[in-house]
Amino acid sequence: MAEESVRISKPRRWDVPFGKEMTEADVELLMNQPPFNRIDESKFPSSAPLRGVLLNDAQLRRFENGDIVVREGDYGSSAFFIVTGAVQVILDSLPARVLGRRESQKKSFFQAVAQLWGQPRYPEVRNYAQRKITGTATAEVKVRRSERETSEVRIFLQDVPRILSENHTARLEAGEMFGEIAALGRTPRTATVIADGRTQLLEIRWQGLREIRRHAPEWKARLDQLYRERSLENHLRATPFLNNLPPEAFKQVFDTTRFETYGDFEWQASYHTGDDHAPEGRLAKEPLIFREGDYPDGIFLIRSGFARVSRKYNHGERTLRYLGNGQFIGLEEIASSWKRVKIVPLQNTLRAIGYVDLLVIPTGVVQQHILPRLRAEELQRLEIQPSDEPTVDLEEEISTKLGPDMLEFLVDNRTINGTASMLIDLDRCTRCDDCVRACASTHNSNPRFIRHGREMNGIMVANACMHCVDPVCMIGCPTGAIHRESFQGQVVINDDTCIGCATCANSCPYDNIQMVETRDRSGLFILDEVSRTPIMKATKCDLCIDQLGGPACVRACPHDALIRMDMRDVDKLATWINR
Amino acid sequence: MWTNWQPGSTAEVSPLLRRRVSFTAGLIVASGIAWILNLILQISLRASAIYSGFFLLALVLGLTLFNSRKKLPFLPLVRASTWLQIHIYAGYFCSFVFLLHIHFSSPRGALETALAAVFCVVIFSGFFGIFISRFLPSRLTQSGEPLLYERIPSYRREIQEKVEALIRKAEIETQSSTLADFYLGELRPFFQSLPSAFGALGGIDRRSFRLVRKLTALNRYLDDAEKAIAAELRDWIETAQNVHFQYAAQRLLKLWLFLHIPLTYSLILLAFVHATLAIIYAGRL
Repeated sequence: MAEESVRISKPRRWDVPFGKEMTEADVELLMNQPPFNRIDESKFPSSAPLRGVLLNDAQLRRFENGDIVVREGDYGSSAFFIVTGAVQVILDSLPARVLGRRESQKKSFFQAVAQLWGQPRYPEVRNYAQRKITGTATAEVKVRRSERETSEVRIFLQDVPRILSENHTARLEAGEMFGEIAALGRTPRTATVIADGRTQLLEIRWQGLREIRRHAPEWKARLDQLYRERSLENHLRATPFLNNLPPEAFKQVFDTTRFETYGDFEWQASYHTGDDHAPEGRLAKEPLIFREGDYPDGIFLIRSGFARVSRKYNHGERTLRYLGNGQFIGLEEIASSWKRVKIVPLQNTLRAIGYVDLLVIPTGVVQQHILPRLRAEELQRLEIQPSDEPTVDLEEEISTKLGPDMLEFLVDNRTINGTASMLIDLDRCTRCDDCVRACASTHNSNPRFIRHGREMNGIMVANACMHCVDPVCMIGCPTGAIHRESFQGQVVINDDTCIGCATCANSCPYDNIQMVETRDRSGLFILDEVSRTPIMKATKCDLCIDQLGGPACVRACPHDALIRMDMRDVDKLATWINR
Repeated sequence: MWTNWQPGSTAEVSPLLRRRVSFTAGLIVASGIAWILNLILQISLRASAIYSGFFLLALVLGLTLFNSRKKLPFLPLVRASTWLQIHIYAGYFCSFVFLLHIHFSSPRGALETALAAVFCVVIFSGFFGIFISRFLPSRLTQSGEPLLYERIPSYRREIQEKVEALIRKAEIETQSSTLADFYLGELRPFFQSLPSAFGALGGIDRRSFRLVRKLTALNRYLDDAEKAIAAELRDWIETAQNVHFQYAAQRLLKLWLFLHIPLTYSLILLAFVHATLAIIYAGRL
């Protein structure tokens, strides 16, 4: 008799709710109190009603005094609404040991060895019979279990008064919200938040937050306001020439800084359009922020996204460098024009690569509050000699280090987005495929990348997840299965909560996420019990997050031809390319 | 992160150069020690061949660990690139110990000759592997579009179909058989055949060069429409030439291991027989 293939019901959104213990009664309670009772439920679609969002995309969590709610640097995908009690936001950075950080769970040595005989014969085998959802790792420092969620373990600070007295803090009370910057901006948490006494919080994952923001205009206005205010302060504080400003000068800068956005937040949709390969067309499509020769009307600080710095070169434009989060441009020109009659114009052109969020500190404020506080040697270093020709030293530009063609290639293909791009030196690669086999051996007998991709000057950017600075693949995942691993920030997919909708695979502009058909141990496809079609899962490189020793592809290459490169580290990239 | 370039930073010695220098120094020191020990054993009238033989066997067994490491990518072992360097330099050292073992003379008897021959083939296949691993990758990169080895057959079929469509178009539009005749006589065998793997080492482009010359010589029989198609055919010949080189080079880079690895296991088997016989005849069993 022929073997029967496994049949299960096709996974759907809300099959695995965000909080297992959220009840209808909890939702009813929330709906009867502000601000939820002021939301017009009728504006929500029947596919995602407000009560459904609260039941499935949110969870009530109770915290004791000193419990850490979020830690600075963690990649979170949820925001918190304070139902009762209060929290303290610690604005200074706390040491890692205080925050109870630990590495993500890796296989033990014996588990690693067991892979030798435990590999399935067929690719993408899943064992639903023995499946159990993995929980959050426990911390090594002081922990306690919550009253209600018995499976949850929390880290708490022991000496709360001392920590509060030694650091700058801000108190948030019932009715206020926090964590929305990380949840909506796909960025790490910017501050550590601890419970101030007994506190009840409503944690809403970003999918739910997005639904509420979309259908409740008052929430949209509030969230946008919070997002802008808190993001601005953090960015300004992280900027080198602003962190030592006295409070009154900082306030002036804070009050006068403009927000500017260029390009499309969901830039991935236009990434594959027809004129991708024509550099002139691509440049013309990139939104212009300012042009070479313009009056410098402020310092342009990158808040998120990327911008291209270019300069006229005969009949075209040469890319000199790219700017990312935290970098700025325009200070040299303003400093050179300061106390002079002749104004030094902007030396370069700035364009948004896909999408960029900018903060602009006006020239007047820079001259009044920032430049007088710089040391003489710093001012001298910023000086540009006024002349008819641009005089910025090209030797200092990234294009000199990487080579102009390589820089244009990396920027045009937006490879600069990667924090762990797989680069292969084709002059060394013998095409032995040891990297591919190593990846398959550590990932369900199916490699998570293709040793193929765009190439420039013998360097190939292989089709492997780059663990982007701006991971657009995370936009639209209905269950939050694709997420940032806390602390180290790898973009990973939780196989248990992936419903195989392919939203992430379609969103990835680099085609680095593959949809695979799952099988049982006998090699038969696991089928949806209704449609009888194979159950699909999204798969991608996870940087061997659970393997001892790191990415297997890098360790398996006998010729040192493969590397995972953080494209923000230009010096390391240049050293590797020019080795 | 987001660091600015520091002009004038001091040039550092490349880690690869440093590694090469330290491995070479290690090889020279190890060879010197082996030579002195062998000399001491000979002076003290001990059976130096027994010691050097077992040492050689242990070295060969150690060299096979590199292949085992490749099968265990999930273990936190040293990177494969470091293993390969150790494998290469230990291979050089092994050759020197082999020469010490045979006292820099010719082997005697059938077994010893067979053993020495297999050893030499293994060693020289290793040298060949090093050579092509250094020589071919850059040529593969320069040859043209990089192709995945497994996709080459389908890519070849695709090219041939496009060329045949071009020839049909030429026949229909120009009512002339010049290009069709040339295709049947010269081009089809070229597009259908695959070169030998050793062609990657040189001369693989001779055939395509000849074909392009012959095609150009046909110009006197072609009208303008045919000449345009002939120009397209020349592009396809160049594309196929890249496919042929990619195929040959990637095949050679895989094939040499089919000689190196099986012969290593034969070598180990023969070495065990040789060691057993040597011990028996030395009266130690």
